[in-house]
Amino acid sequence: MTPNKANYIIRFFLGKGGVGKTTTAAAYALKMAMKGFQTYIVSLDPAHNLGDVLDTELSDEPKKVYENLWAIEVNYEKMIKNHLKQLSEKIKDIYGYLKIFNLEKYVDVLRHSPGVEEQASLDKIIEIIRNYGEKNKADIIVFDTPPTGLTLRIMALPTISLIWIDKLMELRLAILERRRAITKITGEEYEVEIGGKKLKIPVDAAEDPIYKELLNLKSEYDWIYNILTDPNKTLIALVINPEMLPILEAYRAYKFLSKIGIHTEYIILNKVLIVRSVPEELKPKINEQNKAIEEARKLFINKIFTEIPYLPKEPRGIDDLKDIITYIENIS
Amino acid sequence: MGLILLTKRSLLSRFSEVLKGVFAGKSVEYISVELRELENVFALIILGSFIGLPSPPTTISLRLLPYMGRELLVMTRISERLDDMLGEMAGLFDIT
Repeated sequence: MTPNKANYIIRFFLGKGGVGKTTTAAAYALKMAMKGFQTYIVSLDPAHNLGDVLDTELSDEPKKVYENLWAIEVNYEKMIKNHLKQLSEKIKDIYGYLKIFNLEKYVDVLRHSPGVEEQASLDKIIEIIRNYGEKNKADIIVFDTPPTGLTLRIMALPTISLIWIDKLMELRLAILERRRAITKITGEEYEVEIGGKKLKIPVDAAEDPIYKELLNLKSEYDWIYNILTDPNKTLIALVINPEMLPILEAYRAYKFLSKIGIHTEYIILNKVLIVRSVPEELKPKINEQNKAIEEARKLFINKIFTEIPYLPKEPRGIDDLKDIITYIENIS
Repeated sequence: MGLILLTKRSLLSRFSEVLKGVFAGKSVEYISVELRELENVFALIILGSFIGLPSPPTTISLRLLPYMGRELLVMTRISERLDDMLGEMAGLFDIT
């Protein structure tokens, strides 16, 4: 589909470490920018090299690197700090009266909790989509992702969270139903004593802060889930090399993403050795490569394939990336 | 005669009120136990990681935690009495 201001599109470039995600993502972003689309390329990889590929220094703020093309390298430290700050602010708001001193000091340890990195990355993805996609700044947002494992955990987070939220809401309603039954029988308000204070306990979903917070969480996760699983908006480009290990890993990623409703459309075979007269020493390698390509085409049936040859020179900077564009013409 | 009938009727209605009260009291007692257990389960699920249970993604737990004063209190009380839960259940059903 053709992107436009009212209908921005998102592309995730995903694959095993070192297959060439950043280079292909940058070439694709450049191609779209050259076609006149406002394009934002965002590196989510904690070990950034988008700046190296574009041959310029990047930061957390968008930097114009070409006509219609802006690049961002997400600052992971800052991202996790912001995520924890938002949480601690929320906790402080509510527990402020208890005079918890040095709360930040204790909240800081949360960065080591399992899942915080994924959640912070998802928050950043949401922030970028909101700031550039929803605010009509971008026609296309391209995400260059961390290696497969972490990316899959980030992508699965909305689905997993929604399952938890639904179950918790069910349990919460059961609690509220029983509280209501008690008030109905006794004809009195439901009150309990907490910390020496008599507190009225909510009996209706509309006034229960936990249920309300669950509803907030549900609408936040629903929003991003709907964006990620809408094939008219979000598509995955799997980047592989013509070797069995990256292909098998990509296939597992593809299966996993399909299961959570995220659509993979493109398979980019990067670093394909194209040799006119094959020297004897390279023959086994070329045979292996051909077998791997054949296997990839069997595994990823009905996907759009593109092949980028092994280039004699490592692409660095806009001019080098322009040379790759011809190979990825069929990725839109 | 009329007076006796009236007294009988008021006695009957008084008796039914007492009976209703007893049943209401008992129902509230049963529902309260069920409610307490549900609140305990809710707190355990949210804070499951502390006792080695799988728990929701950290953000969900942290976002709900500030509102869970009541549930945490229930969970603490239940955990204090865990070694005598059988006795408590027996008390609830008048088994002595």
